[in-house]
Amino acid sequence: MTSTSFTPGRILRLSLLISGALIFLAPYIFMISTAGKAQDDIFTSALRLIPTHFFYVENITKALSKVPMGRLLLNGVLVCGLIFFFQVVIAIPCAYAMAKLKFPAARLMMVLIMLGLLVPIHAVALPLYVAFNNLALLNSYTALVAPFSISVFAIFMFLQFFRAMPDDLIHAARLDGMSELGIVARVIVPNAWPAVTAFAIFSVVAHWNDFYWPLIVISNQAYATPPLGLMYFRAAESGDDYGALMAATLIITLPLVAAFLLAQKRFVEGITMTGLKG
Amino acid sequence: MASIAATTIPMQSAAKHERSEARTALLFALPAIILIVLFILLPIIAVVVLGFTDFQLGDKSLRFVAFENYAHLLKDRTFQKSLWNTAVYTAIVAPVSILLGLGVALLIESEGIGRSFFRTAYFLPVASLIVAMATVWQYLFHPTIGPINALLGEIGLPRPNWLASSSTALYSLSIIGVWQTVGFNMVLFLAGLTAIPRELYAAAEVDGAKSAFDRFWLVTWPMLGPTTLFVTTISIINAVKVFDTVKVLTEGGPNHASEVLLFTIYQEGFVYLRVGYASAMTSVFLAILVVLTFLQYRVQDRQVHYT
Amino acid sequence: MKHITQILAAAAISMVVSVPAYAETTLTVHYPMPGFFKNVMDTISKKFMEENPDIKIQFAAPSATYEEGIQTILRQAGTSEMPDVTFIGLNRLRMIDERNIAVDLGPLVQKDGNMAEQGFSDTILKLAQVKGKQVGLAFATSNPIMYYNADLVKAAGGNPDNPPKTWDEVITLAGKIKALGNGVDGMDFRWQGDDWMFSALLFGAGGKMLSDDESKVAFNGPEGQKAVELIQRFVKEGGLPVFTKSAGEQAFAAGKVGFEFQTTGALVNTIKNVGAKFDLRTAKIPLIDPVNGHLPTGGNAVVILTHDQVKEAAAWKFAKFAAGPYGASVVVPGTGYVPNNELAAKSAEYLGDFYKKNPLFQAGLSQMPVMIPWYAFPGANGVKVTQTIVDNLSRIVDGSAEPKEALDDAASDVEGMLPRS
Repeated sequence: MTSTSFTPGRILRLSLLISGALIFLAPYIFMISTAGKAQDDIFTSALRLIPTHFFYVENITKALSKVPMGRLLLNGVLVCGLIFFFQVVIAIPCAYAMAKLKFPAARLMMVLIMLGLLVPIHAVALPLYVAFNNLALLNSYTALVAPFSISVFAIFMFLQFFRAMPDDLIHAARLDGMSELGIVARVIVPNAWPAVTAFAIFSVVAHWNDFYWPLIVISNQAYATPPLGLMYFRAAESGDDYGALMAATLIITLPLVAAFLLAQKRFVEGITMTGLKG
Repeated sequence: MASIAATTIPMQSAAKHERSEARTALLFALPAIILIVLFILLPIIAVVVLGFTDFQLGDKSLRFVAFENYAHLLKDRTFQKSLWNTAVYTAIVAPVSILLGLGVALLIESEGIGRSFFRTAYFLPVASLIVAMATVWQYLFHPTIGPINALLGEIGLPRPNWLASSSTALYSLSIIGVWQTVGFNMVLFLAGLTAIPRELYAAAEVDGAKSAFDRFWLVTWPMLGPTTLFVTTISIINAVKVFDTVKVLTEGGPNHASEVLLFTIYQEGFVYLRVGYASAMTSVFLAILVVLTFLQYRVQDRQVHYT
Repeated sequence: MKHITQILAAAAISMVVSVPAYAETTLTVHYPMPGFFKNVMDTISKKFMEENPDIKIQFAAPSATYEEGIQTILRQAGTSEMPDVTFIGLNRLRMIDERNIAVDLGPLVQKDGNMAEQGFSDTILKLAQVKGKQVGLAFATSNPIMYYNADLVKAAGGNPDNPPKTWDEVITLAGKIKALGNGVDGMDFRWQGDDWMFSALLFGAGGKMLSDDESKVAFNGPEGQKAVELIQRFVKEGGLPVFTKSAGEQAFAAGKVGFEFQTTGALVNTIKNVGAKFDLRTAKIPLIDPVNGHLPTGGNAVVILTHDQVKEAAAWKFAKFAAGPYGASVVVPGTGYVPNNELAAKSAEYLGDFYKKNPLFQAGLSQMPVMIPWYAFPGANGVKVTQTIVDNLSRIVDGSAEPKEALDDAASDVEGMLPRS
């Protein structure tokens, strides 16, 4: 359905996409440019994208040596992985129940879900903090993972997705004698692939970049996540070491970009799979 | 005799089936329910209760002051300004990012080459750490040595004092807000678009839908219903929850021109350490969100149809 | 195979040898502004551990600013997360004291007996006292100075070797620099963030924040009036633009601003940011009242939080070390703060030579005699009070209010926030 010829419509489409992409990428271009500059090269009256002296090695070295980057990245991966795992395992059966099964508390659940969507972590941080402290769970992976193991966003998203799924597949499986659990595992999950992948992207991104909650519950460096590491470069009284800060940001953003590119491929695969079936 | 027996038994098993279905459903939802109670309901109750006290962070005890906090809120000029700013910010960022997200998703879907690149380019802002990107934006918006004003100066347009002037601070933050969220909505719309079966388009063409606009209006838009509902709800909620950019770039300034609800709550609770007062504010904030979302969902859910 | 056994043996032996034979005390230390102080803290703690092998220093996650630092401590007070030692902004010591969180260092100072000989004179001890109680030991102290771009000064007809000594001279010269055009601004004054620079003008005129009994606002008296009128003159005649804090620093570093007024603590970073772009100089900041004027002391103090006997003793050793001459000799060259220890400033062993070789640092040093404590407002609303003052200053800077009006508004708002006794 996509033509190979360059019609005027196509040219317009491409130029819109490309100029939009350039605008969206502009901050990154400046970030990469700044990551390679020495401190006195950054604030000049002339706009120069190419650094006068290439300082990438120095800034990246500073970024890697000022913080235990390996440990930070490891914690990031561990925490995001655990959170995502629990979120999906808890959300899928729940969303299935709300979408496809009849049960009395469905509307109440909907209210609870909406409530959950509205409540930002900033609002409930204090009571949660006190609770974790009383349970001596601060400075632990539990503190980092537990509050996020419930993702009403996931339930909401899967709910919409499952509602749009045709019932025939499920009826057929029931007639075949499959238990509800079996249906979830063998019918729903394979077909929910695009939704799960899309959610994976959101979950990982949100929790990889989460600054506020780890800031509150973690004071032991061994458990610090990547954003906490970036804090080292900020100094209120005198301006930041921008070059190293940008280099550190690059290092922390890169895993996410790589993961997103990979997820994209799976995304396309998942679509092709369902496309063939449909 | 046989026919009566034949009708009663299916009815019995139908009722039994319904009960067992309800039980299974409850079981499936149980873990989620327990966690919601623990991490959402109970803390909310705690916050509401704290809103009736004068608790200060670091205090060993607290005092119940009933509605004193709420009375104070009514007269608090900063809180009122904050409410207004949040409303303006949401009114700009939500619609713009939804429309742009949809537009970009449509463009990418119908384009053959460079899909991976475009998807990544538009999604990158969502994946980046806002604390660091804010620093970049602060430089981009610099009134005298920043590239944006340099460009504007070249074309001969006025060069606003983006983040430092009370008239433009909120709009500057809105620009960053849109930049941050378009990719988010784009991915959601892409997922929705790919779920639309291709036959529908073929069928529409057979029915006489010739132009791209027809295809969009007759097939794409209706089929995107659930997705659009989802995107709108999430966009509004996230816009109201804006905090990181305000904290890093303007701290609500200059003189509260860019102060938003969550930032005021943070200031009162964690900076001025007036946790009781901040909790009262949080309760109001949550109440507003609940009403808003409830209305919006109700309105749109009616217009959406599912297969 | 033999190789491996040899290596393992060597490793085993070295492990046995390096493990201390006696029990170790571990101190958890928290500090603010790691962008500034991380290298300083690492250096100081390393030397300390060398000299005190039975004490181990480990650092908790640092806070980005003084405000976040105090929030963290107040939040962690009484919990298992609370560090043993922390560094607190000088104007927030009062808050810590009002909540009885810090260990009173008075008895420790008494027991020690010869603090003065270690460089801790009475003046320096006073900097970290709240109403006579020794809450901490001043670690890094700063005062506001004048930075200027010698190239711009010359271009505007001034003499960089003879910088302006009064505010009138500054404003005239800044106005001329602004007139040079080409996107250049005359001056930048760090009024944002907190009330410190405002108090530089207020104390510089001989004024006070509150009345002596702390029940009434005094900053809207004649000294305060002079201060805010001066700020308006900065804007109208001196070419002070409406900048955010960081925008101002960046513009100055880019060579687009003639004068910069802010803490000497920013000196090292400014030097790095400016590089070779222009001739950077520093000088004393003018005082509205050169005879009676004073300057506020910025910076932070080391505070002991742990009440455990053993840890407290170790913490006292560390506090004295960090706030002592060795600590000062690390802090000053690393940041631009002025020495909080008289021994350090004078003896060649520590900093004597440094000041000879680095004239830019002398401005802050020369103002030490007029330093008085950064004022801390009483009561629970201390932080909100400083924010209110800043908000009203911004109205003067962006021209939306006249100085007297803004000052009076600030005064009435602050009066409402003072504790009712």
